Amino acid sequence: MPVNTFEETDYSREGATGKIFLRIFSFMKPYWGLMFIFLVAVILTSVMDAYITYMTKRIIDEGILSGNISILLNILYQYGALVIFEAGTVFTFVYVVSIVGEKVRYDLRQKLFNHLQSLSLSYYNQTPVGWIMSRVTNDTERVAELVTWGILDSTWGVVNIATSMYFMFKINTRLAFIVLSILPLLLYVGIKFQTRILRQYRIVRKINSQITASYNENITGVRVIKALGREKENLKEFSDLTGEMYTSSYRAAWISALFLPTVQLISSLALGGVIWYSGAQVTIGGISIGGMQAFLAYITSMMWPIQDLARVIAEMQRAIASAERIFTLIDTSPDVKDKPEAYDPGSMRGDIEFEKVSFWYEDNSPVIKELSFKVKQGETIALVGSTGGGKTTIVNLICRFFEPKRGRILFDGKDYTDFSLSSIQSRIGVVLQTPHLFSGSIRENIAYGRLNAAEQDIEAAAQLTGAHDFIVKMDHGYDEQVGEGGVLLSVGQKQLISLARAVLSNPEIFIMDEATSSVDTLTEATIQRGIESIMENRTTFIIAHRLSTIKNADRILVIENGQISEMGTHKELIQKQGKYYDLYTQQFRQEQEKKYTLFAE
Amino acid sequence: MISKNQYIDLKKVLSEKRFQGLWMLMSGYQGEYMGAMIYQILSALAKSGTYLLLEYFVDNFLLAQTAGFSVWVIAIGFVLLFLFQGITTFLSQRAAAETAEGTTRRLRDYLYDHIQHLTFSYHAKTDTGDLVQRCTSDVDAIRRFYADQAIGIGRIIILFLVNFIALLKLNVPLALYSVIVVPIVLFISIYFFQKVTKAYEAYQEQDAVLSTTLQENLSGVRVVKAFARQPYEIDKFKRDNFEKYKRGKKLNTLHSLFWPISDIFCGAQLLFGYYIGARMAISGVITVGTYMAYAGLVVWIIYPLRNLGRMIVQMSNGLVSYDRLYKIIKENREPLDQGSITSHVKVKGDIVFSHVSFHYEDGSEVLHDISFECKAGMAIALLGSTGSGKTTLVNLLPRFYDVSEGAIMLDDSDLRLYSRRFLREQIGIVEQEPFLFSRSIYENITFGIKEKVTQEQVEEAAKMAAIHDVILSFPQGYKTLVGERGVTLSGGQKQRVAIARTFIKDPRVLILDDSTSSVDAETEAHIQTAIHQLMQNRTTFIIAHRVQSIMKADLILVLDKGKIIQKGTHQELLQQEGVYRNIFEIQTKIEEDLQEELSRAS
Repeated sequence: MPVNTFEETDYSREGATGKIFLRIFSFMKPYWGLMFIFLVAVILTSVMDAYITYMTKRIIDEGILSGNISILLNILYQYGALVIFEAGTVFTFVYVVSIVGEKVRYDLRQKLFNHLQSLSLSYYNQTPVGWIMSRVTNDTERVAELVTWGILDSTWGVVNIATSMYFMFKINTRLAFIVLSILPLLLYVGIKFQTRILRQYRIVRKINSQITASYNENITGVRVIKALGREKENLKEFSDLTGEMYTSSYRAAWISALFLPTVQLISSLALGGVIWYSGAQVTIGGISIGGMQAFLAYITSMMWPIQDLARVIAEMQRAIASAERIFTLIDTSPDVKDKPEAYDPGSMRGDIEFEKVSFWYEDNSPVIKELSFKVKQGETIALVGSTGGGKTTIVNLICRFFEPKRGRILFDGKDYTDFSLSSIQSRIGVVLQTPHLFSGSIRENIAYGRLNAAEQDIEAAAQLTGAHDFIVKMDHGYDEQVGEGGVLLSVGQKQLISLARAVLSNPEIFIMDEATSSVDTLTEATIQRGIESIMENRTTFIIAHRLSTIKNADRILVIENGQISEMGTHKELIQKQGKYYDLYTQQFRQEQEKKYTLFAE
Repeated sequence: MISKNQYIDLKKVLSEKRFQGLWMLMSGYQGEYMGAMIYQILSALAKSGTYLLLEYFVDNFLLAQTAGFSVWVIAIGFVLLFLFQGITTFLSQRAAAETAEGTTRRLRDYLYDHIQHLTFSYHAKTDTGDLVQRCTSDVDAIRRFYADQAIGIGRIIILFLVNFIALLKLNVPLALYSVIVVPIVLFISIYFFQKVTKAYEAYQEQDAVLSTTLQENLSGVRVVKAFARQPYEIDKFKRDNFEKYKRGKKLNTLHSLFWPISDIFCGAQLLFGYYIGARMAISGVITVGTYMAYAGLVVWIIYPLRNLGRMIVQMSNGLVSYDRLYKIIKENREPLDQGSITSHVKVKGDIVFSHVSFHYEDGSEVLHDISFECKAGMAIALLGSTGSGKTTLVNLLPRFYDVSEGAIMLDDSDLRLYSRRFLREQIGIVEQEPFLFSRSIYENITFGIKEKVTQEQVEEAAKMAAIHDVILSFPQGYKTLVGERGVTLSGGQKQRVAIARTFIKDPRVLILDDSTSSVDAETEAHIQTAIHQLMQNRTTFIIAHRVQSIMKADLILVLDKGKIIQKGTHQELLQQEGVYRNIFEIQTKIEEDLQEELSRAS
């Protein structure tokens, strides 16, 4: 897949919007009860808000102007009751909406994560990690925002405008019509503005991430920059970037600042109308003084719901695009999955056979070509050959990370796709060349191989693989933290831990993909016996780095261009003086050099 | 008077005093920012004016027709006041935005330039992630200080003062009755937002934890699958995910408590004021118009206070960012142009180390009494284990560090007389796995080259570095981007790009690390040829890993713990007892072993 497929588009495909909406709301199903409470609370609050303004009118008209203190007190009591009641509804909707929001975020993230676990390796090979992460973090955020605060703001806005209009009509019909007629204009201007503002801020964010990248590179590469004396040009380039940042963020800021005055300008015309009208009407009894006051209040506060509504509408498009991406991910089905009748045979012991297996990652460039070979139960097979020859792909196929495009792989005479994935993968122990550890302690990382392993089993595995010695030398021993991805350990240490992890899982088939390439020679020698005891009675595949391991294998397969070019024991292949002979001599020199050099780096 | 776009040496003008520093930081914009505040005052005055006009209107038009002019005047008056308020608010925000963005830009540029001029030892002891974090998050905190907080706090205080004065003008006791709740609301909002800030930080922390869990899962997908640990991973993610939910809930609960609680206090204050005011109006102490103006004004002195607390808390957090940035700014730069010998001379490349010692600022000694000489064009091989001082020794040449004792002479002049800039132009460095920039390969090859170079020259250099064919094999050739967004080059390929760059730079002195990452024999031979070519006619320091390059060297230095333990040519050192002979003998032994090994198999 080309890289630009992963560029984010903020606009969804046409026509699909309605369906996406329905699907978003189906996510809300568990929360319909809460959403109902929330909507009632919002509507009540919004109505009370408008009514409180109406009350200020009553204080003037019915209380002050009539001079009746008991009516005044009565109104004020009501006012007080409303304030307290409104505090209750405000609490209710803010609380409920945030809880639902967090819950929807939680659900969406979990749903995506769970689905990701089922996807095949081919998906991960094609999709950058950053892209997937952005789906799980940013897109879920946006969708949750839409279904919670988006709904809140729009409900509040609509109800507030509607009730305000209701009271305005109650006070004076003709004036209310003036206000009603400018509403569409206000909303239109509002949406235009908000769309523009959002777009501008998007540009700002983009430049901002470029600035961060520049800092990062400048600091990481400071040695090279100093050595090449490129400080001046760097600053010039960076200054261009901050110049762009200045222009676009200044622009974003003043467009935002212009929004309210513009809305104010429009509503001030209505305001002037009200004043003029009431000046003419009061004398003839068309509008009361309190009524005029309320009108002014309604008009001046009208811009807030307008702003909220406009923002929701402007943001909606982006949220829908986010939802669409989320759904696309959820709808992706794994390439490698269990057949409906897949079963767990109880054991993976038995012969393994490749039957004319072909495989390719991309069309027209096969990595494995018609590969056939048979491995007997308990045999140790070494795969050797130059990089890119297809060794790792063979490992991937045995583990069923991928399935053959043509041909079959048989476990004990049966096509392995008949078995369930978990039955295969839980019985194969793989140690990869680039060991991957998870944040947490060393103990937790080894126990990843068998989750309920007892303390002594973990240590036994570590001892067998030579990891124990360096672990106990650490400050916290087995409780030492390995850091994110294992950064606090050396590659060699990580390899030993991942070896121990595989040993602990007590697999029936053992695969080591250059598993100890970065372990120093001394340790290598001490773990040799441990590895041999593991290999005993288990079918083992080793993509080997060390000659000692290769030499002791039952059979050596030389893999070149996706095919077997030579096969036999060490002795046979040396006598043949072919590819293996060359590889062996080259490797021998390198290994010995490393072993003897006093200045090993 | 400092203009807006003028460069300011922030190191000179800033101090530890935060507010003074923030004031100096906006040099050139100070007038503008003060203008923003004045606009806020005008805007607040217009707001008060609206209500005072309302009072006049009610009392003199509606209740009694005492004014001698048309209602039109009032209507237009309202529209104008409203407009004025809108325009001044806009102008104020615009001025604040210009100040914030302009000041931030200057700060960003300065930091960028400052960091690339800081010394080697500073960078050696500073964590990259932390530095980037400061340059982005902390700078943004400063931006928000100007754009939101300072102006926002100013606005609320101005609104309060102007409207309070207007209230006092209406009726003094009424005004005093209306601010009873002020300290309480202020206290509650500061209290809450301190809690909110903490809850928010906790929420963000968990967000980072969740991201890490996700990222580790995604990048370790093969391990997860290999152990069929999907259920375990789902549980783990669920735990972290749920923790984030819980923290989000806590944060939101605070918000959902704060707003209604403060609403009740503000509402109670309004109610109390309305009651007092209404009674005064009924008993004729104030007019109805005055009451109405009061009812409008009082809202503006109470509700904004809730945000004042928020901003004060945010600002106090933002000020910590100033301290963190100031720490970087006050570091000393490496003077690039200091030195009497600059571009007018041509360097030959004779180098003499006489009794050179080097220790870091903390006193730990890395090099001790190093003496040797070499003529222009010679190759010097450095041998030694990690920590023996090889790298530090070569870092002295481009003056990444200066010697602590003794002296290094280049063409009979002390190295410290040469300006660093000039010196670095004369020296080429090829590291084992060089850092490439996320630009095109072409730009990486010409990176830092001052003269204009043609496409042919670049290709020529790439050919000599045995990387030309590799580059052409990429779909976009020389325009191919390096790094995350383009191709990932192997260690060996990166090294050859650096060799090509060095060919174009054509330095007099060369520092190279001759170890290559695992490459096949053919490529290995190509690299060796390229390196050999590059060394022609240049004084070369090789951090040596292979026998070949050592044997050809004119001078071999064997280092151990910062001292030279053996010195001489290959032949000379073979005659001596010692480390060097041991290493060399091993090579012969290996070949013997191999033959023995092979014969055993056949």
